[in-house]
Amino acid sequence: MNNLIRKAGAFEIANHWALALSFFILTVSGFGFLFHLEQMNSIFGSFSRMKLIHNWAGVIFLVSLLLTMFTYLPVSVSFGKDDIGWLLKAGGYLSRKAVLPPQDIINTGQKFFFLVFLLLGYAISASGLIIWLAAGVKKWVLLSHLIHNISFDLLLVIIPVHIYLGTFANPGTFRIMIYGTVPLEWAKKRHAKWVSKMGY
Amino acid sequence: MSKRYREEEMMRKSLLISPEVCIGCRGCQTACKEWNRLEGVKTRNTGTFENPPDLTPALYNKIKYVEVPSEADRQRWLFVSQRCMHCGDAGCMKICPAPGAIYRTPEGAVAYSKEKCIGCKLCVTACPFDVPRYDNNSKISKCHLCVDRISEGLPPACSKVCPTGAIRFGDRDLLIEFAKKTGYEKVYGERDLEGLGALYAFKDAPTLYGMNENPAIPESVIFWNNILKPLSYLGLGGAVALALIHYVAFGPHNEEEVK
Repeated sequence: MNNLIRKAGAFEIANHWALALSFFILTVSGFGFLFHLEQMNSIFGSFSRMKLIHNWAGVIFLVSLLLTMFTYLPVSVSFGKDDIGWLLKAGGYLSRKAVLPPQDIINTGQKFFFLVFLLLGYAISASGLIIWLAAGVKKWVLLSHLIHNISFDLLLVIIPVHIYLGTFANPGTFRIMIYGTVPLEWAKKRHAKWVSKMGY
Repeated sequence: MSKRYREEEMMRKSLLISPEVCIGCRGCQTACKEWNRLEGVKTRNTGTFENPPDLTPALYNKIKYVEVPSEADRQRWLFVSQRCMHCGDAGCMKICPAPGAIYRTPEGAVAYSKEKCIGCKLCVTACPFDVPRYDNNSKISKCHLCVDRISEGLPPACSKVCPTGAIRFGDRDLLIEFAKKTGYEKVYGERDLEGLGALYAFKDAPTLYGMNENPAIPESVIFWNNILKPLSYLGLGGAVALALIHYVAFGPHNEEEVK
């Protein structure tokens, strides 16, 4: 385990945790609002306070989202033939012995996830801000309410998949969110392009 | 307590408003303010007797003055009592995210609790009649059919004070029967939104009285309620199930397997 390579810095790790925790709080309180879960009173104190926490957790989520953009946006929009190869093999997730084209610091699936998450994240943040700040303005709030809930439903599908792929499906990945480093050998297998770019 | 009004249909109470017998005295406005202890609001004369111009957090009901001069009747003046319609299927209750903030009373009124209101104003956007207002503390404020009177068997203040019978209060079925017997074939609000708690006996088309012919909850709210809401936990459950199935069927990406 001596040969470790840094995949994420301290700032990136902290930011990802901020994003994840704010998302968790937003989801729990969101379900509370959606289904009138009175049990939330024992967690948040009251629905008024839950609204306050929901709104400000949303602000943290948005700021964190903005910061996330700098990390992976450039690499996420660069698609090449290796990405097509990755997609044709479904990322190796539908076979036990797939040979995949070399990948960059994030693989094709992660690129797609990043772009979709960015889009949904901004949609749910912007619509949330309108519901909050333009309260009572019928046209805008109704549209935002719709967008807020559509993006919520979609996020509830892609985030569990993201968590699964980052933990159980790919052992050794979750440590990036704690230490930011991965074994060099692991990285060579999964992110060959990036590793060679780094000069190993 | 169900959101829609079905099981207690038999004892559902409502108002029957008859503009034809209204004299526009606005005793109902005053009585409402007195019973609910709502302060007066200073307004400006804009050349009409209609005053105040719109519902406010301190004005739960008002008489709308509509002038409709025609060849036959050069001075036709319509007085229409406006207020919360206490819809059988209420948009405000559907969209409200705070449990107990807007609730249905056993009489069928759509009442509210300012303590439980969280001030999001979503009810304002989902109301088909543009009724809910917000007070200075950002809490919902609207007609509640004098919930503190009708629960004791008393009529609401507006109907109690009305000198001509333009605002009647009673069993909804009986009021509809009464309106039909007195020559109003169509009662506004009989079927709309699973029946309104404020019925209108209109002589002409509802639009002449400034009322929507087909009042409805915004379609986006219905779509959200019927589709997006259940889809949230179905999608979440589906994604988790998919991950589990994948784990069982293919297992984790082990290093020996990755090339």
